[in-house]
Amino acid sequence: MVVNPREAPTPTIAGDVAPLAQGTAGAPLRQSNLWRDAWGRYVRNRAAVAAGAAFVLLLLFCVIWPFVSPYDGNKLDFSLKNEGPSLSHPFGTDNFGRDMMTRTAEGGRVSIGIGFAATIAILLAGVAYGAISGFVGGRLDNAMMRVLDTLYGLPYLPFAIIILAIFGDANFWTMVVALSVVSWFTTARIVRGQIITLKENDYVRAARAVGARWYRILGRHLLPNTLGVLIIAIFLELPGVILGEAFLSFIGLGIGAPDASWGQMANDGRTAYRTSPHIIAVPSIAIATLILSANFIADGLRDALDPRTRET
Amino acid sequence: MALLEVNNLKTHFFTREGVVRAVDGISFEVESGKTLGIVGESGCGKSVTALSIMGLIPKPPAKIVDGSVLFDGRDLTKLPEKQLEDVRGREIAMIFQDPMTSLNPTLTIGTQITETIRRHYDVPKRQARKKAVELLEEVQIPRAADRLDDYPHRFSGGMRQRVMIAIALSCDPKLLIADEPTTALDVTVQAAVLDLLDDLRQAHEMAMILITHDMGVVAESADDIAVMYGGQIVEQASVNDLFDRPEHPYTEALLGALPQIEGEGIRAGRLTAIPGRPPDLKNPPPACRFAPRCKYANANDTCTTVMPELREIHKDHWVRTAHPACERAGAQVPVQA
Repeated sequence: MVVNPREAPTPTIAGDVAPLAQGTAGAPLRQSNLWRDAWGRYVRNRAAVAAGAAFVLLLLFCVIWPFVSPYDGNKLDFSLKNEGPSLSHPFGTDNFGRDMMTRTAEGGRVSIGIGFAATIAILLAGVAYGAISGFVGGRLDNAMMRVLDTLYGLPYLPFAIIILAIFGDANFWTMVVALSVVSWFTTARIVRGQIITLKENDYVRAARAVGARWYRILGRHLLPNTLGVLIIAIFLELPGVILGEAFLSFIGLGIGAPDASWGQMANDGRTAYRTSPHIIAVPSIAIATLILSANFIADGLRDALDPRTRET
Repeated sequence: MALLEVNNLKTHFFTREGVVRAVDGISFEVESGKTLGIVGESGCGKSVTALSIMGLIPKPPAKIVDGSVLFDGRDLTKLPEKQLEDVRGREIAMIFQDPMTSLNPTLTIGTQITETIRRHYDVPKRQARKKAVELLEEVQIPRAADRLDDYPHRFSGGMRQRVMIAIALSCDPKLLIADEPTTALDVTVQAAVLDLLDDLRQAHEMAMILITHDMGVVAESADDIAVMYGGQIVEQASVNDLFDRPEHPYTEALLGALPQIEGEGIRAGRLTAIPGRPPDLKNPPPACRFAPRCKYANANDTCTTVMPELREIHKDHWVRTAHPACERAGAQVPVQA
């Protein structure tokens, strides 16, 4: 434990330190490892814990609720059009009389599913491109990065729209492709940067000195050390992708009716936003909660996985 | 034939500012079972020599432009990378300077040792682990079997260097290159690690190249010493010969800069420093590299315009200077001698 002299520890802190120091001096001390330490740092970050809880609850709700719910999210009931929240319909009903709560969960499955699938696609492409570029280095690296610079200029949403137009049909997988195909550049850059710093490490040279082959060095010594960054990247990419999906669905390019997604539900509520604001509010809140919690989780993970942020 | 024969090795770095002649035509031999000490100050090309032998120089910018490295009859500079990978670790092993960074912090030391074994020998994991425990015991790590699954951060610097030695020994190499193995350790640990290295070298009948800037380190464990300066070998002799009758002004100066605490002729005065800086190895002039700092060289000397050749001044005692100690005696005795 480092005590910064300028921070002048109060007596209580000093008192806390003493028994702890004794404890560590004693014989069997629990193996500390990166992930346990990181978890310890993460749970101390209240915003991140709250965000994590919100994220998990939202996920569980989306996964479980459609099984439990007494309603079918696609069943129309015109006698119950545009009803506000009530006991039997906690989130109200939409302009076709569908139960909003069930529909939010079903839409969430689609939105989050597309979000995760696209994020994984982004990671795979980014890691492959970045790792090769950074590991090989030299001219190939230079060429690959210039290509990336050029692609960086592609506007995200118009490009996604064009891709959807080319496919002509928006289903789960075409959405994943459209959202990931122009989004992996940042991840590629992050991974390349990491690999370039990591490959200068002495232990990489030491590994080469014992005859380790390139794939061993890449797979064993370099990529595992980028894992922390990649986990952060997941939660940084996820909000953008989910927002992109919501936007595409909102303008009518997303998954087709009657299947729900949050963006499409928001679109359903668009026309009646004065009389029945809950129809647009519910999916919007869901999107906002997901994005906000993902951002806070990314923030908390970044602090937790950086070994330099040791608690004093 | 010697185990390792380095002939006229030249490793140059092609940088934007020019060609840096980090290693500029060095030759030496290492007999099996013997230790060669390579001494010199920072930037004289010691480490690049080691990396050139291993084929680990960063290319680009570095390139071996001339010479050969004959190991067991094969020229390592001409060996394809694939075969070189089989030589590394298996036949030639290397220990690096900083044990704190030479182990991967995310892998247990057991993994790092067994991986090396399994890289070169087709043995099951359990057998490799058994061998790893034996190795850790051999480098005197207490409770070796328990420590196998510990991560490197739970070891001290000296312990980590022992682990590095264990990894280096894991495939019974014929040659061990130790690049400043004790520089990052404190003095008491240094002595222990050096003793250990020497014992293990004898037990495993390895040859060793010991690279250091510390005269004291080579004095204890080397059989022969090569003194490097500015990418060249300036003096080469057996340990006793070199310490008893240093011929090159640079070697003399290095020994003069060494504190002595026992023996005859204890100096009462200050330790002598060598004035000036090591030469810039970018486009060096065709002169003795040490001339600008040499107290025997003056402007009229040929050695400021012509590079002196490496010559055998006594039997097995080679020196590259126009002013070896034994030729100085007569007319031009320097004032400071």
